[in-house]
Amino acid sequence: MSIPRILNKKNRILLKELTKTDFKLRYQGSALGYLWALLRPLMMFAILYVVFAKLLKIGNDIPHYPVYLLTGTTMWSFFTECTSQGIQAIVQRGDLLRKIAFPKYIVVVSATLTAVINMLINLVVIVIFALINGVTPSLSWLLVPISLVELYALSLGLAFFLGAHNVKYRDVTSIWDVLVQALFYAVPIIYPVSMVANTSALAAKVILMNPIAQAIQDIRFNLITTESMTSWNFLGEPWLCIIPIVIVLVALVIGALTFRRKSKFFAEEV
Amino acid sequence: MRHKLGTRMVTDTDGDVAISVKNLHKSFKLPTERAFGLKQAIFNRLRGIKGYTEQKVLNGLDFEIKKGEFVGIVGRNGSGKSTLLKILAGVYYPEKGHIVIDGNLVPFIELGVGFNPELTGRENVYMNGALLGFSNKEMDEMYDDIWKFAELEQFQDQKLKNYSSGMQVRLAFSIAIRAKGDILLLDEVLAVGDAAFQEKCNKFFASLRGEQTVVLVTHSMDNVRKFCDRAILIEDGKIKDQGDPDKIADEYLKLWENYS
Repeated sequence: MSIPRILNKKNRILLKELTKTDFKLRYQGSALGYLWALLRPLMMFAILYVVFAKLLKIGNDIPHYPVYLLTGTTMWSFFTECTSQGIQAIVQRGDLLRKIAFPKYIVVVSATLTAVINMLINLVVIVIFALINGVTPSLSWLLVPISLVELYALSLGLAFFLGAHNVKYRDVTSIWDVLVQALFYAVPIIYPVSMVANTSALAAKVILMNPIAQAIQDIRFNLITTESMTSWNFLGEPWLCIIPIVIVLVALVIGALTFRRKSKFFAEEV
Repeated sequence: MRHKLGTRMVTDTDGDVAISVKNLHKSFKLPTERAFGLKQAIFNRLRGIKGYTEQKVLNGLDFEIKKGEFVGIVGRNGSGKSTLLKILAGVYYPEKGHIVIDGNLVPFIELGVGFNPELTGRENVYMNGALLGFSNKEMDEMYDDIWKFAELEQFQDQKLKNYSSGMQVRLAFSIAIRAKGDILLLDEVLAVGDAAFQEKCNKFFASLRGEQTVVLVTHSMDNVRKFCDRAILIEDGKIKDQGDPDKIADEYLKLWENYS
């Protein structure tokens, strides 16, 4: 699979059409339609905000905590949506794979692109909230896309790897659902890392070696407040700092290779 | 580790062979006693059960199709015709053997691939077109013709689920026949629909003869005699005979006498 083939015109058109239909079908038959792409994460944010910020009083020491929280939940939703949609993509599009020959990765990428679109819409909302909340725009905002790309690369790698196995063993979907629940608490979304660091610096370090945590903290740092802890300013040692990046690259490469090897048999196994 | 797989190559040369198939094998692993799911897989592994039986579908096929030839492939149900077509189309991987395809191949195995009942006719046309390899520009250009040919212009913006099955087939057929390639793979699923639609299909087949390389899988010996330059009879995953369409058609019909 060479690069020119991946990006050729025919595949691009197919990718575009599949993404378009995925996006349309997602909100098909609902009265509010595409608005749900916005409403769902906002509602999730509202719940977390009331429970954690107001009732449990977490995050009082962080400036612009509501936006900080919203950024975390949005990016988390992006990650979970990307992976779960990507994992199921091959099975869901099984009828297509059984009938026509085309590069299978297109199906996975198109499923995750819907999540990307949702995330970008929500990012606009975050920026608006941030401005209302008194965050001053800065040049560091331009660094945010790097973290987004990193998060997407990780999701895609996982989707490729798990999606390829999901064709034969549908259990993967269920296992991943549970894992994601556990992972949610391992990522500093509702709680600030500083809270963990106060009890155990080691635990905080482990948390920040997770690429999801690293990416989310970077986005918060660059977008909202330089007072947030990041892998870069907390892990210290440079070789520790690159661990999250290495994890992302390994996930992407192994995911892509596994997918390529297994994709030859999707048509007959799905 | 799996053993080495067969190959399927697409080239573009001036040679006179459109499709060359050498020693093609294919078998499917059919799961026994519910080998789906992780639990069963682990159980089976522990008990030393393979969890599947191998069903040999193609058992060493060799043939060539020349450019411009109209070749019919016939055989009883389960003889491996459709599997062969799917391997030629690149949907399945050849397990063993080599396939060389010279030119742009358009598979015509099923109508309306990717049709979604929840989308409108218009959206489905573009989706299906993208799967057949058309660019948006090409689709824009032939969009009106597609609807006119299908005689469904007034339903363009209705959801597909509100179409009758006959209407869906008409629409799909109308898109499909616009696909241009050097080699056409046709499965007989095209031969559905009412008499008028059959007539359209037949006209379309006839128009292809001598113009393009065509591989037609069919159960209709009339079509074999009418359209084909050559026919191949497949039985139990092997080529039983090939050659003159009339001779092969007779032989195919004789198969039935033996079994009835």
